Amino acid sequence: MNNTVSFKEYILKTGTASVQEYSAENDNYVRKSQLREIWGRFCKNKIALLGLICLLLLVAMALFADVIAPEGYDNQDLYNKFALPSAEHWFGTDNVGRDIFDRVVHGSRISLTVGMISVSIAAVVGILLGSIAGYYGGRTDNIIMRILDVFMSVPGILLSLSIAAALGPGLFNLMIAVGIGSVPGYARIVRASILSVKEQEYIEAAHCIGCSNARIIFRHVLPNCLAPIIVQATLGVASAILVASSMSFLGLGLEPPIPEWGAMLSVGRPYIRDYWHLVAFPGIAIMITVFSLNVFGDGLRDALDPRLKQ
Amino acid sequence: MSTLLEVKNLKKYFKTPGGMLHAVDDVSFSINRGETLGVVGESGCGKSTLGRTVIHLLPKTSGQIIFDGEDISDVDDHKLKELRRDMQMIFQDPFSSLNPRMSISQIISEPLKIYHVCKNSKELDSRVTALMETVGLALRFRDAYPHELDGGRRQRVGIARALALDPKFIVCDEPVSALDVSIQAQILNLMQDLQKERGLTFIFITHDLSVVKHISDNISVMYLGNMVEKSPKKELFDNPLHPYTKALLSAIPQASIHRKKERILLEGEITSPINPKPGCRFAARCIYAQDRCREAAPPLEEMAPGHFCACYRAKELAQG
Repeated sequence: MNNTVSFKEYILKTGTASVQEYSAENDNYVRKSQLREIWGRFCKNKIALLGLICLLLLVAMALFADVIAPEGYDNQDLYNKFALPSAEHWFGTDNVGRDIFDRVVHGSRISLTVGMISVSIAAVVGILLGSIAGYYGGRTDNIIMRILDVFMSVPGILLSLSIAAALGPGLFNLMIAVGIGSVPGYARIVRASILSVKEQEYIEAAHCIGCSNARIIFRHVLPNCLAPIIVQATLGVASAILVASSMSFLGLGLEPPIPEWGAMLSVGRPYIRDYWHLVAFPGIAIMITVFSLNVFGDGLRDALDPRLKQ
Repeated sequence: MSTLLEVKNLKKYFKTPGGMLHAVDDVSFSINRGETLGVVGESGCGKSTLGRTVIHLLPKTSGQIIFDGEDISDVDDHKLKELRRDMQMIFQDPFSSLNPRMSISQIISEPLKIYHVCKNSKELDSRVTALMETVGLALRFRDAYPHELDGGRRQRVGIARALALDPKFIVCDEPVSALDVSIQAQILNLMQDLQKERGLTFIFITHDLSVVKHISDNISVMYLGNMVEKSPKKELFDNPLHPYTKALLSAIPQASIHRKKERILLEGEITSPINPKPGCRFAARCIYAQDRCREAAPPLEEMAPGHFCACYRAKELAQG
C-alpha cells in the first residue's frame, strides 16, 4: 500500500500546485512548536546530547552534594595524608588528609556557580554594550569601545584582582570581579558581528514595518549573532573557574577550607611529582565540565540555526 | 483622480571621503492614487535612494514630501511610526530581506504585532492565513524558514509582510530583478492584481524596461540623481524626447528580425556623482551636447501634455 502516493502527497512533496489545490490539506494543518523543533534538531547531535547529560549530572552532583558525600569536605585525617585512591578514599586524600572525592563533590557547588554566573554577568553586560556600540555606531560606539579598550589594556587577572580587592573577598564579589574582567571580550565579538548583520536588508525591512530599535536589536540582530557568543561563553566558563581559583590562591576569593576545583589544583601543585591524584581529580572535574559545556554549546548553536536543518 | 504622493525638489546627498555624493538631486514628481510610477535608470543612478528617501528609510537632505494631503517632510518618531502603516516597501533581494531565524508566519505577523492590530492570537493567526492566501503562499509554509523557500515564494513572503498593515503606498525596489523570468511574470501579475483589489499606489523601481512597460502608468527616467524625463508610459515608448531615454529604449531587443532598429551606443563611462560639475549630467556622454548644456542644468519642462523632459534641445531634436 505504501508505494501508491496520492496526488495530494505528491503535491506536498514537490510543492508544485497552487494554493487552491491543497486547501483541504491546509484545513487540518497542525502547527509545529518551535521549541520542539529546536529540541529535535538538538537530539540529532549525539555528542551534544552527551554533553547535556554530563552537565545535568554535574548540576545534580552539586545539588545533592550532601547526600553523595555526607561526610563533609573538611574532615582531616592527618595519619592518612597523601593516601592513594582506594576503596575507602575513592580519589585518595590530600596534603592534610581530606578525602578528595568529598571535596570534588562539594567543590562542584562553588566551581559551577562561579563559572556559570561570572560568565553570565560578563555575557549580559558585554552583549548589551557591544550591541549598543555596534548598532548605533558613531560617537556612541567610540565612547563605549574606548572605555572597554581601557579595560582591555589592563591584564584580565590584574583587573579582576583589583576589583576583588576593592569589593573584598566573598563568593559574589568574586563572581563580579571575574565577570567584569571578561566583559570587553564579549563586547568586541558582539559588536563585530552586529556590524555585519545590521547592513542586511532584513534589518531595513524591520525598520520599514515600524520596529523599535530595541526590537530590532533583540529580535533581528542578536539572534543572527548567536554563534560566536555561544562559543565564547562556553569556553569562558573554563577560564572563569581558573581565574577564580587563582584569586582564591592569592587570598582574594574564597578562603580555605571551602573546596573549589581551581583552589584544589593549586594546593596539589607542589606535590604533583609524587602524588598525582591531588591534581588529577579536580583537573578531570574541570575538564569534564568544560568539555560538556563546549559540546553542548556547539549543539545548541547548531540547533538554534534553522538553516542547518536537515 | 487625486494625488496621493507629491515630492518637490527632493535632494539626498551622502557625505563621502571624496566629497558630497549627489545621489538624488532636485527630483520632483507626483503620483495619483491607484497608479504606478515606474522609475528606470542604470545602476547607481539613485533610483533606490529615491524610493528609500521618500518613505523615510533614509533621512533626506532637503525637499518636500506631501503624502495624502499632509506634509510629511519632517516627522518625529511617533508620527513616522503611524506613517509606516501607510507606506511600505518591497525589497530587491528576497534572499537577504527576510530574517533567516524567523519562520514565515513570524515574519508576516511581525508588523501586526508591532501595531497591535489583532486582539488575540487567534485573530492574528487568521490574519496571517489570509495574507498568505492573498499572495498565493501555501499554508504548509507557515513554519518553514526563508532558506527552505525558492526566490519567488520568498518574494511573496516579502509582499505579504508589506501588505500586512494594509498600506496605501508601496515602494517596490526592483522586486523581480533577482528572480527567473517565469517567476517574474507571476510576481508582477500578483502585484497588479493586488493593486486592482486594494487600490494600491506603487513606485516601481527597476532597470528592466520590459518590466516597467508591463506594470507602470507613468514612467520617469533617472540619470545620475536627476530625473531627465517623465511621461505616461505609452508616450514615453512611442515618443522619447531625452537623448538618454532614446539610447535606453534602443537597447531593448526586438523580437522581429525584419525590422532593423538603430542602436544608439553611449560612449564613455557614467560620470561620478561625487561633486558633479554644473550643467546637464548627461552632457559628457550626449552626442547632441552643446556648450550651454555644460554650463547650467536644463529644467524639467513640459514638452507635450504630461510629458516632461529636461533637455535644451529636446524640441529641436524632436522636429528632426
